Amino acid sequence: MAEQYPDISPYGDCAYLIRFETDGFSRQICEYLQSLRREFVPQAGWIESVAAYDSLLVSFDPMTFDPLQAERQIHKIIEKFKPGKSDPGRVIEIPVQYGGEFGPDMENIQKSSGLSQDEIIERHSRIEYLVCMMGFIPGFTFLSETDPELHHDRHITPREHVPAGSVGIAGWQTGIYGLDSPGGWQIIGQTHLQLFDKTRPDPFMVKAGDHIRFVPFEAGS
Amino acid sequence: MIEILQSGTRITLQDQGRPGHRHVGIPSSGAADRLSFALANWMVGNAWGTPALECTLGGQHIRFHKDMTIAISGAEMWAQINGQNVANFSAFPVKKGDILTLSFARIGCRSYIAIPGGLSGETIFDSVSTYEPAGLGGLDGRALKTGDKLDVTETRASLRKIPIGYTPGLSNHVVLRARPGPEFEDLTLQSQRYLFINPFEATAQTNRMGARLKGNKIEMAENRSMTSGPLLPGTLQLPQDAQPILALTDGHCTGGYPRALQIIKADHWLLGQIGPGTKVSFQRCFARDALDILKRRNAFYGSLIDGFSF
Repeated sequence: MAEQYPDISPYGDCAYLIRFETDGFSRQICEYLQSLRREFVPQAGWIESVAAYDSLLVSFDPMTFDPLQAERQIHKIIEKFKPGKSDPGRVIEIPVQYGGEFGPDMENIQKSSGLSQDEIIERHSRIEYLVCMMGFIPGFTFLSETDPELHHDRHITPREHVPAGSVGIAGWQTGIYGLDSPGGWQIIGQTHLQLFDKTRPDPFMVKAGDHIRFVPFEAGS
Repeated sequence: MIEILQSGTRITLQDQGRPGHRHVGIPSSGAADRLSFALANWMVGNAWGTPALECTLGGQHIRFHKDMTIAISGAEMWAQINGQNVANFSAFPVKKGDILTLSFARIGCRSYIAIPGGLSGETIFDSVSTYEPAGLGGLDGRALKTGDKLDVTETRASLRKIPIGYTPGLSNHVVLRARPGPEFEDLTLQSQRYLFINPFEATAQTNRMGARLKGNKIEMAENRSMTSGPLLPGTLQLPQDAQPILALTDGHCTGGYPRALQIIKADHWLLGQIGPGTKVSFQRCFARDALDILKRRNAFYGSLIDGFSF
């Protein structure tokens, strides 16, 4: 990101928002923010470091430093930061049963794209996605841009219940529901993997900055 | 042991929260009114973040199965022991078999009951605070229900009285000091003014995740879609229906609505006292003032409650 320096502005009195101007989705910016995020966590005084598509929120402990010191620290961290050297993240394969009862909105994508179910599966699963953001609830995995032919608006009225593991499309985004929740994404498939399971030593199967590959999977295979 | 005879509107186990996990979607959690919660623990000699009970809106009945000391703080709920009034923001001894009843919340929304040594629950991400949407903390990840019994290990009789000036004043009209949020400038000029003029009212859609507010319509100058971004407790978001949502301690970690305001840290504890019907006003605060207020408030309460900060 040598050519662009982010905008750094206060977010309330104990946090800053580091933002890039982007025109749509930029994988480069997303990757940069994910690795920049990790630079803050181990340093004393920083509490939260939350990366999203084009912004990174860092909150600090006001007992450790005041806002001006925090802002100077942010500049120092950004100036010293070499994105290339950071951990590239893991590649995780997620088996997905596409269509049928697992993908109730497959037909919508077929209608809007004019593609067959097999073509949609092929296009959706050939991309290696970057995990750009987690939240809004634990385990919800926001991924990078999917195939342009598959872009589709959300449902106008969200479903009251979307089962955990559902794989959906919203605009250019694709993502996975980590927990049962209400939701408006177009659901095209479902994974049986539990992305969030509090009984595991590490409850999260994927983390922001990881890469994901969907593997089409048929029941019984 | 203590026994929940009536769980009332809601009763959960809460502690200081689990900061530092918002990047994986785990919200800050913890006592919604951090100050009243810390004072309840202080009155019974606990470290301020010790797990205690958070009672929402009233209706809770609790029986004590041995002699112990308890403290009560937060919302004014006409607390009684065996039908005799007890003062709010106070600690007192209870006897085996005594029943504490909370009526309805007259002022504020959440009250806290602390017991020496605290209560135990499921610890996850360094906290037992109950975060219901993901089933974390509390008893098996849930709120307490009628019939639940909780072990009490200590029965120290120490109790402290809050010195004059330290008891927070609660009101059903909450005034929150705020800094402009990242998208504040994208509001119409009229909406920018309206945010700070007429009070809003919290609707029935108000819980630990957020308070939905009704009042003047707050609108964007132009309707453009926003890329999802991070949120914090105290962020005021504007969905398309122009009725703002104020994020509380269990609020979403990321969101796609414009962020109009951010409540200053020193006022976050007040968010926990917003219940359905509470009037909410916003007061614009300069950056320098926010810092002064926070420093003074931390010094003031830090001198009483060891290790506490807002």
